[in-house]
Amino acid sequence: MSDDPRTAVERSTRAQLMSRLRVGILAAASGGLLLLCLPNMLRDWAVYEPAWAQVVSFAALAGVLCVEGVLVVRGRLWPASWQWPAVGVVVLASVLSYSTLPYGHAASAGDWIFGEATWVGLVVLLSRPLPVHLGFLGLHWSIALVNMLLATDVGRVAVLRFATGSVGVIGYPLCMAVTAAAFRGIARSAAAAKWETERVAVAEAAAAQSHLRRRQRFADLDLSTMPLLEGLASGRLDPADPRVRRDCAVEAARMRRLFAEVDVVPNRLLHELRHCAEVADRKGVLVELDARGRWPEPPLPVRRDLTEAPLTVLATAASWARVTVVGGPDLVSVNVLADCGPLDLPRPATPGVRLETFSAGERLWVEVRWQAGTSPR
Amino acid sequence: MAGRHITAVIVDDHAAIAAGVRYWCERADPPIELIDARARMANVWTGPGAAADVVIFDLELVPKNPAFGELRLLVDEGRRVVVYSQHADSGTVLRCVNLGALAYLTKTEGPEHLVPAIQAAADGRPYTAPSLGGVLIADDDPSRPRLSHREAEVLRAWFASSSKELVAARLNISVKTVDTHIERVRVKYANVGRAARTKSELVTRALHDGLITLADLGDDADPARP
Repeated sequence: MSDDPRTAVERSTRAQLMSRLRVGILAAASGGLLLLCLPNMLRDWAVYEPAWAQVVSFAALAGVLCVEGVLVVRGRLWPASWQWPAVGVVVLASVLSYSTLPYGHAASAGDWIFGEATWVGLVVLLSRPLPVHLGFLGLHWSIALVNMLLATDVGRVAVLRFATGSVGVIGYPLCMAVTAAAFRGIARSAAAAKWETERVAVAEAAAAQSHLRRRQRFADLDLSTMPLLEGLASGRLDPADPRVRRDCAVEAARMRRLFAEVDVVPNRLLHELRHCAEVADRKGVLVELDARGRWPEPPLPVRRDLTEAPLTVLATAASWARVTVVGGPDLVSVNVLADCGPLDLPRPATPGVRLETFSAGERLWVEVRWQAGTSPR
Repeated sequence: MAGRHITAVIVDDHAAIAAGVRYWCERADPPIELIDARARMANVWTGPGAAADVVIFDLELVPKNPAFGELRLLVDEGRRVVVYSQHADSGTVLRCVNLGALAYLTKTEGPEHLVPAIQAAADGRPYTAPSLGGVLIADDDPSRPRLSHREAEVLRAWFASSSKELVAARLNISVKTVDTHIERVRVKYANVGRAARTKSELVTRALHDGLITLADLGDDADPARP
């Protein structure tokens, strides 16, 4: 069996398409075995040498048909690795049956396996291409032919009986094999179409997912950035107003943080803080950033809480700011000190994060602490 | 310390640094006399540099190759060293403190820290700049000295704010108490690891002045620090 998903799709499509054909062939093969072969075998029970060999052959074919029955019920094709052993069983059954057929019975009613083995072989090899069927039919016919030449008086009657028998024995299963081969082509194009449909569906689902994620990420901006932009567009907000400019700087820092959140870096908290600091840096604020210690990576909501107050202070700073991070295995402390004057800062949203502010004249000192282990990870 | 004439020698391969430090020293109160060793260690050991009270030492005279050996020689000779370096990684800083440097400053730290550091070193006292405070508070070495809750709090606030007045105001203590806490931390660090003259002098003095008691040094009295 193949692991290739495309081959798997083709197999399942073919299994669906061929299921009815298989039911029909299985019914024909089983019917033949029970309604024709069994009575014929029982009638000639006394002439076989010995009879148990015929029973073994009969049981072998019946066994193969039972496997097919289970596979049909489960909607599965024959696994490639089972097909050759199954064909081997059929061939051995026919060799065993012929070797115990008494002299002069070739292509007679007692030669039940002549007509049955081809159907059972067809059942096993249905998913294979036409030449394989031809090969199997040829092999089976050759065994029967050898048996006739060796174990029968080769006369006009015997040859004619064998020839007419061959037409049905080879002809009907061959028709079915040709039909199955036609199905193979149809299955292949159907599978290709199905594969394409699934690919498009997966791509659409992925696009919808990432759209949703993006919407969630930008949802916060909708609440703060959009009103600001709308105010500026409508002229309601004056870009010359220091408060409006401060709000713009804060929003710019939030957006920078948002963009930084998707980056894969060793220390995300520091990475995001650096992006927040860069907005202040661009305004000409002298920013010092120093970090010491090692800490476990805080989850995103905690990182947002740890950076939210600092980014507001940084965006508001007039000329300088000092940002420091000290961390250990269970505590992360982010400090920012700047000449931004007193500020109203948002409270942290996640449990385990504490905000403390200390104001001295124009200087504001903000500390945000996260006690690891108190927040959901 | 005020009123005493201090001389310092600077070893730094950047002329601009030496010139800038000279400017800060001249404006100090009282002015500090600065000798430029012109990046040559020989000028620290001989001539006017040999008699200087303080050595201001650039750890990276050779890029990417911190001169711990030179620092060790200076400290073993009893010289009072202020390391002034581009290097800021915690391992390097801790190693310098362990070797016996009285102060470690990064070059982002200006005259507001370098001048007091030179003055303290001339007196045989340590100076802990905010960056060094940050390194000490984040030190997770198992053999680190045990700090009291208050000492850790003061040190963390000092690193965060870089202003002793702000630390004092926020924690409701005096600036002198802030200094005491920070100095106690340094004494505890001086009491561990490699033995050095500057370090033992520091501990002896702190015990003598009652800054710290033997009980404070307690369990951390002699663990081997690499």
